Amino acid sequence: MANQMGNAYALTLLCPIRHGVPQQCPEGLGGQTSAACVRYLLQDVMRVSLDSPMAKVPNTYLSRFYILEDVPYQGKPAKLEHLGSNYLVFCADFHGDLDTWLTGMWNAIQPEICGLLQYCFGFESVHDCASFITWIKKCQVETTFFFDGSTDEPLAVQLKNLYLKQEFSKFVYANQGNGPETIQANFREFVALTQPDNIDAPTWKPGAYGLDKVVSGLKTQGAG
Amino acid sequence: MISKLDLPDIQGNIVKAYGRYGFPRARYVFYQINDSTKGRKFVENVTPLVTTSVPWSEDKPKNVPAVAVNIAFTYQGLKHLDIPDDTLHGFPDEFAMGMKARRDIIGDNGPNHFEHWDKIWNDPADKFSQNVHVLIGLNAKEEGPLEAAYQQICGILAATGGVTQLVGHRGANGVEDLPYQSAIASDSNREHFGYADGISTSYFEGCRESARYVVGGGKPTGLDPTTKEGWAPLAAGEFVFGHADESGAYPEAPGPPLFSRNGTYMVYRKLHQNVATFRTFLEAEGSKFGDVETFAAKLSGRWRNGAPLATFWTKESANQFVAELGALLEKSRLADAGQGQISDAEKAHLAELRLQLTAYDYNDDTTGAKCPFSAHTRRTNPRSALQFGEKKPFDTPGALSNRRRILRRGLPYGESPANTTDADEHGVIMMIVNADLSRQFEFVQEQWINYGNDFRLSNDQDPLLGNNGFNENGRGKGRMLIEGDSQTNRSPYFCSGIPTMVETRGGDYFFVPSMTCLRMIAMGIVDPT
Repeated sequence: MANQMGNAYALTLLCPIRHGVPQQCPEGLGGQTSAACVRYLLQDVMRVSLDSPMAKVPNTYLSRFYILEDVPYQGKPAKLEHLGSNYLVFCADFHGDLDTWLTGMWNAIQPEICGLLQYCFGFESVHDCASFITWIKKCQVETTFFFDGSTDEPLAVQLKNLYLKQEFSKFVYANQGNGPETIQANFREFVALTQPDNIDAPTWKPGAYGLDKVVSGLKTQGAG
Repeated sequence: MISKLDLPDIQGNIVKAYGRYGFPRARYVFYQINDSTKGRKFVENVTPLVTTSVPWSEDKPKNVPAVAVNIAFTYQGLKHLDIPDDTLHGFPDEFAMGMKARRDIIGDNGPNHFEHWDKIWNDPADKFSQNVHVLIGLNAKEEGPLEAAYQQICGILAATGGVTQLVGHRGANGVEDLPYQSAIASDSNREHFGYADGISTSYFEGCRESARYVVGGGKPTGLDPTTKEGWAPLAAGEFVFGHADESGAYPEAPGPPLFSRNGTYMVYRKLHQNVATFRTFLEAEGSKFGDVETFAAKLSGRWRNGAPLATFWTKESANQFVAELGALLEKSRLADAGQGQISDAEKAHLAELRLQLTAYDYNDDTTGAKCPFSAHTRRTNPRSALQFGEKKPFDTPGALSNRRRILRRGLPYGESPANTTDADEHGVIMMIVNADLSRQFEFVQEQWINYGNDFRLSNDQDPLLGNNGFNENGRGKGRMLIEGDSQTNRSPYFCSGIPTMVETRGGDYFFVPSMTCLRMIAMGIVDPT
């Protein structure tokens, strides 16, 4: 079925960006087009990082924004065609149903997402979560493409799985050659430290590149 | 596809691994061009000495030189010889940038960083610059002719002027003052970690090397890999410009066509081996594993005596194979020298045994029980390893590896006695020939040596060649999974703490011109218009 595979949902949006120069634009971008403002926000506020607003949206496996300026022309005998406007393309894979996820997005990053989408056609009709969901669905196109790197489990379960897998691999290397009693004792300690039944902690943080950041809280990439 | 190459136009080191021809001694000499006119004169005077790829055979002894001489140029070298800009711009970025500037891609950071390279590679005024312009390689059987050829070239240099021989290779005393890099293969053909070397290298169409090297050196045909029918020569364009490559296209090369045709790239890398570290690690970890020699084989994919692990799973079978092969090779050698005889049956058996050195793939070892996925030779020449047991997954057998093949040239340098230390001067001069530095050498270095994803090994590195690094306690950070064997009930072994065993100590990317191109450079008539 389009858009859904098990408990995983793939969302693809094509949001038409307004023509011309907007009345309000980010500082320093006066006189620039709406598309330029959107691109600036993608490269600044929405930039991929541990602090990316998208990392705060519950149950998000992966998301990607880009601007589709036009369709490429591949030369004759293809027909030369153009889009009527620039489009903000947004793709996301997440756990659960669309309305729940969009509600989570609205609650988590409303200022950032509205700041971005205000440059799109018809967004002035959005004034609350319900109208936000209605507007988003108008931009939706069906897809059967899913991000291959995850299962359809809730994000917290997947992050805990990753954490346990990584820590268990370290445990195996550290205990190579130990006797059964030592391994058993060390495994008890491992279980106590990693708390496999506790989904929330310790674990990876959404948006993190590596475990070192989780443990140390450092933003620089760990040496491991 | 071509079936014949113009071998008299192609430099000899492209086709021949000189060590295999009983030329175990080498000197690598580097130069800087200060005056382009005199530089071209130097090229003109050296060119007649250059050895070509014409086959050497006993019925044509005149083809076999006392010393094999070859010459190659960096991008800056070509620039200093007044090669036109339009031709220079035809070279791809990686060649123009040179090895130092590609360090993040090929893993030359940490102890491999060029700050630690021999002085010759680092101009004190600008360490980022490419001050080496020309490489002349000399290979010989004996020291006498080698010295004579070296002196002859020194004489040419003195007479021509305008070219400086660069001094500053690190010597046995640790001082960086040597005028050339020496290299020599040991009598037993073992490199410093004790592995038999130079067993397999890529084999391409029209090279006229012994047909037996196509086995394991060519590309898979989809037929039985333990037979000659299982292998076919790689397209010449993978290694020589101006000929179709495995994609059916000509490799990217600068114009005019005559400038690049029959030329190629050679990667020169001085790789220091931390022999003491390797020995300590091998003893300690091998003892824990259960058997030191078997552990050494698991790291490499070959037993240290040369027998391939994929075919010879036990130490006993490997030892028996090599003993039998060695005895027959000796008998054959004596018979050739007129001492004793070798029967036709023995000759046929010898041919069979030789075949077994290289006639295998990994289709019957899809769990890594015999040869680990991470073993050095399974990584760098994966044969069928990237199919993961699927039968005929691609229309082209070897589709994932045919375009990542390289020719291995070069020899070990220095000595590694029993009491050696890491600080001693020893390693291997690695010379790699390919037509596309980025697609071939750099890919193998980046993806197959310093990463593991293609082999489903996450970010594990090649245990022997990987830039494994050390943690804050000085413990190696390398890891390797030695897969278990369900048939013998052997558990998997999780090897950690692997130190950096090999460090880069110098090198660059060189263009190896054809004989025609050398003459065009000398005459100053390269014209891309």
